[in-house]
Amino acid sequence: MLISLAWLRELLVGADRLAAEDVARALSARGLTVDAVGSSGADTVLDIDVPANRPDALGHRGVAREVAAALGLALAPPPDARATSGAPADGAVRVVIDAPELCGRYTAGIVRGVRVGPSPAWVVERLAACGLRSIDNVVDASNLVMLELGQPVHFFDLARLAGPEIHVRGARDGERLTTLDGVERTLAPGMVVIADARRAVALGGVMGGAATEIGHETRDVLVEAAWFAPAAVRGAARALGLSTDASQRFERGGDIEAPSAAQVSAARRLAELAGGTPAPGLVDVRVAGAARRSVGVRLSRARTLLGYEPSREEAIGALEALGLSPRSEGERIEIQVPSWRVDLEREADVVEEIGRHLGYDRIPSRMLSGVSAASAATSAPRVEERVRDRLAGLGFHEAFNYAMIAPAEDDPFVPAGAPAPLVLTNPIAETLAVLRRAVLPGLLRAADQNLRRGATEVRLFEVGHVFEGSAPGALPEEPSHAAFAWCGSAEPPHWSGPARPADAYDAAAMIDEILAVAAGDRPFRRERADVAALHPGRSTLWRDGDGRRIAWSGPLHPALADRIGVTPGILVGEVDLHAAARAGAPRPSHIPVPRLPGTSRDLSIVLSPGAEAGAVVEALRRVPSPAPASFVWIDRYEGKPLAPGEVAMTLRVILQPLDRTLTDADAEAYRAELLGALESVRGARLRRIDT
Amino acid sequence: MDDRLAALEREFRQALAAAAGNPAAVEELRVRFLGKKGGLNVLLRELGRMDASQRARVGSALNEAKGRIEAALAEAKEAAAGEAREAALARERIDVTLPSRRPPRGSLHPVTQTRRELERIFTSMGFTVETGPEVEDDFHNFEALNLPPGHPARDASDTFYLEGGLLLRTHTSPVQIRTMLARKPPIRMICPGRVYRKDLDATHLPMFHQLEALVVDEGTSLADLKGTCAAVWSRFFGDDVAIRLRPGYFPFVEPGCEFDISCRMCDGRGCRICKETGWIELGGAGMVHPAVFEAVGIDPERWTGFAFGLGIDRIAMMRYGIDDLRLMIDNDVRFLRQFPS
Repeated sequence: MLISLAWLRELLVGADRLAAEDVARALSARGLTVDAVGSSGADTVLDIDVPANRPDALGHRGVAREVAAALGLALAPPPDARATSGAPADGAVRVVIDAPELCGRYTAGIVRGVRVGPSPAWVVERLAACGLRSIDNVVDASNLVMLELGQPVHFFDLARLAGPEIHVRGARDGERLTTLDGVERTLAPGMVVIADARRAVALGGVMGGAATEIGHETRDVLVEAAWFAPAAVRGAARALGLSTDASQRFERGGDIEAPSAAQVSAARRLAELAGGTPAPGLVDVRVAGAARRSVGVRLSRARTLLGYEPSREEAIGALEALGLSPRSEGERIEIQVPSWRVDLEREADVVEEIGRHLGYDRIPSRMLSGVSAASAATSAPRVEERVRDRLAGLGFHEAFNYAMIAPAEDDPFVPAGAPAPLVLTNPIAETLAVLRRAVLPGLLRAADQNLRRGATEVRLFEVGHVFEGSAPGALPEEPSHAAFAWCGSAEPPHWSGPARPADAYDAAAMIDEILAVAAGDRPFRRERADVAALHPGRSTLWRDGDGRRIAWSGPLHPALADRIGVTPGILVGEVDLHAAARAGAPRPSHIPVPRLPGTSRDLSIVLSPGAEAGAVVEALRRVPSPAPASFVWIDRYEGKPLAPGEVAMTLRVILQPLDRTLTDADAEAYRAELLGALESVRGARLRRIDT
Repeated sequence: MDDRLAALEREFRQALAAAAGNPAAVEELRVRFLGKKGGLNVLLRELGRMDASQRARVGSALNEAKGRIEAALAEAKEAAAGEAREAALARERIDVTLPSRRPPRGSLHPVTQTRRELERIFTSMGFTVETGPEVEDDFHNFEALNLPPGHPARDASDTFYLEGGLLLRTHTSPVQIRTMLARKPPIRMICPGRVYRKDLDATHLPMFHQLEALVVDEGTSLADLKGTCAAVWSRFFGDDVAIRLRPGYFPFVEPGCEFDISCRMCDGRGCRICKETGWIELGGAGMVHPAVFEAVGIDPERWTGFAFGLGIDRIAMMRYGIDDLRLMIDNDVRFLRQFPS
């Protein structure tokens, strides 16, 4: 809201020298924050950020009221300009409110014999100071009324209205009205329509109609000043995308008493600027009660909320200055809520008024004491935090991406048949239209961006929610996922030798690291991944004991890299942290360090094409061992004398007894059983055993 | 005999001098002089043929000579080994000015680091850290917060809606509602998290991070809010920071306020960053509105509470002197790596 200092001075008694800085300081300290002080011609302009609950400050008089309270000044009385002669208005027009739920009060006044023309310079300047352009003397008159009182008024050309009867009713479905801006609008029920005998002539509280617009030939003006239901005006303005100075005021809640003052002011302005003659009398139809509301406040409550107890005199002084007519009633102070203060409903609201007037600097500063039982139970860091630390420790940089992505962007990253993504009804851009089901699409874009900027080593990770569709109306699942994108060498390049490029096994190691943080030693099964985004031959999928997909990693599928235009060769991986950590954080514990010597056997095993090392270990692990056994692959060979496609791999089987020494017989029996088990693995055969 | 022994020792001394520094040559001398067929043993074997009167004297002279030779050999051997080691060490010298082989070094986003620092400060004051869903319903994001349908303040939040009526939370306040519904007072909590608003320009991103604090207890007042703010910000920014409350409007608090801290750039004297006011606006705060307590079934006569909220991204930008918001979401590794974990 732009406020003219010159105008403000006129509305206060003895305020000719009122300084903009003092006004700005006082208003800001009272919650009407002055964002800027500027100038417009010879005038000074204050840009006030009026909060949504203070529609009374959307006019100069309302702001003057606040300044008067702050600085101990008096408001200038409004000039009385009631007409006393001529044909009375109530003979020329009748008003019927058909929709009392939409319109609480409608007043109509008449000003005859106006001459439409340009406004005088002072009007042009004043409107300019308030950010409005002068149109003509009649339109300007209506804007002056609104800017002064905060009450919008609308002028109809009386001659262009069909008949003397005005109806205020709800719009009919599909009803059409061409508004002042020349746009034909289709109305809907719930919107307020002002209609004459034939048709809708204005969209109440938002904008007038073109058919009854004031023009150069206009002589007699019907002045509308009304109170429209805030929700109805807000709904209409939103539905039509038509936010006006009027709608912004009505939708915050108008002053039910203001229309009378606005009629007086409009009559005076039209007389002054356009030579009109106001008709005596006013048509005033009112359906909303004007019950004066009163609210009580206890000083003890003020102390509880503010942290200090103002004296009774201070509290009453503050409420008096604000025009709230306080009256002491025992422990309570009873205030009368003025019609313009739509925000004062409860005791706490009145406490704020007292606090605001006395100044928030009065509030003392106190340290919280004591710790509640709930807060004393400090929990371990969440799995997301531990994974962040681990990935940063492994050399990855944390990235942030929007939860919104382009439609279908994450399709290759979710299993076939996954529920459709959640769709925004009002996206900010088509590329940000659905909620992600995987973290990688955004991360991949970020990695690619970095490569395009010339980076050669890119290691990015992100931990964040993904969104999994659900039953309509129910909240979706939001599991946290951790994902990484990696391009470049396995270890940072060093002058001592050529760098080894990171490969699928490095990527899989990162998943193993994340799973170790999230799930401790809970085992997961690995298999070839069927994720469309990944290289079909080099990617891994991790499942838990229930077969649930937990993680996947591998090089990006070259066809996908081609299609979305990212640099080929990027390694990616993603973990569903909630699924991985389902069993809870591993309990801290230990197993004793073995004191007995261990023993090991190396099995050299030939794998035919298609056979997998994991199947070998899985089979051997099932063999009952005489002591805890572990299995480590120690080398790999291909070439002669092996057949093409065959590989020989050496598996070291380590037996580590904990409580008794192994006998040779134990070890031999175990070995025999291992060999038996190996025979059951398709595509694997023993080459030799080394001890 | 005496002459032969003296000659042998002379010969040994000469040979030893020649073999100095060479461990293998020294070892050869041991064989040559002390071995079974060595010079000394040849003399010893002759001892048996001597008459008894001589034998004792010559025998002891031979033993003394043997002792001297053994000592000299041991000394020479040690010296030779030392020299060899020295030589080897000299060969193994490296250029210590070349770069080390460091493991890769990652980083945590400045927003994460700032959030964690704030969490650390609040938890040390007995606050729990609560989280909640980013997709919310109208009740938790608006209605329970004294923002009924049609409330004008709903416009300000520029909500993203989902098909089916759900929405992306516009603040982390729904977590306050969920916590108050789940737990009885006293409550002392913070809720950091991602929030969404339909806004995208030089100073707004459609996704950003908020942290809100809520205290509900008997007798909690704005004085506690002021004290808590002062404690948090002096610990976060340093002891010299001043804080200020100004009246402000948020539908879910009453009385409501905005809280400012003295500008870090100019120490409150006024500069470009604080628009010459000396103060930086950090967020909104106030006493929990009785209508909010009523929505979650807490008796507003018995319990009072304060809440405040702030944008973590902005605090992070102030903390690190970042002046371009886009850097926060750009994921440029040249930027990110400046925040090692």
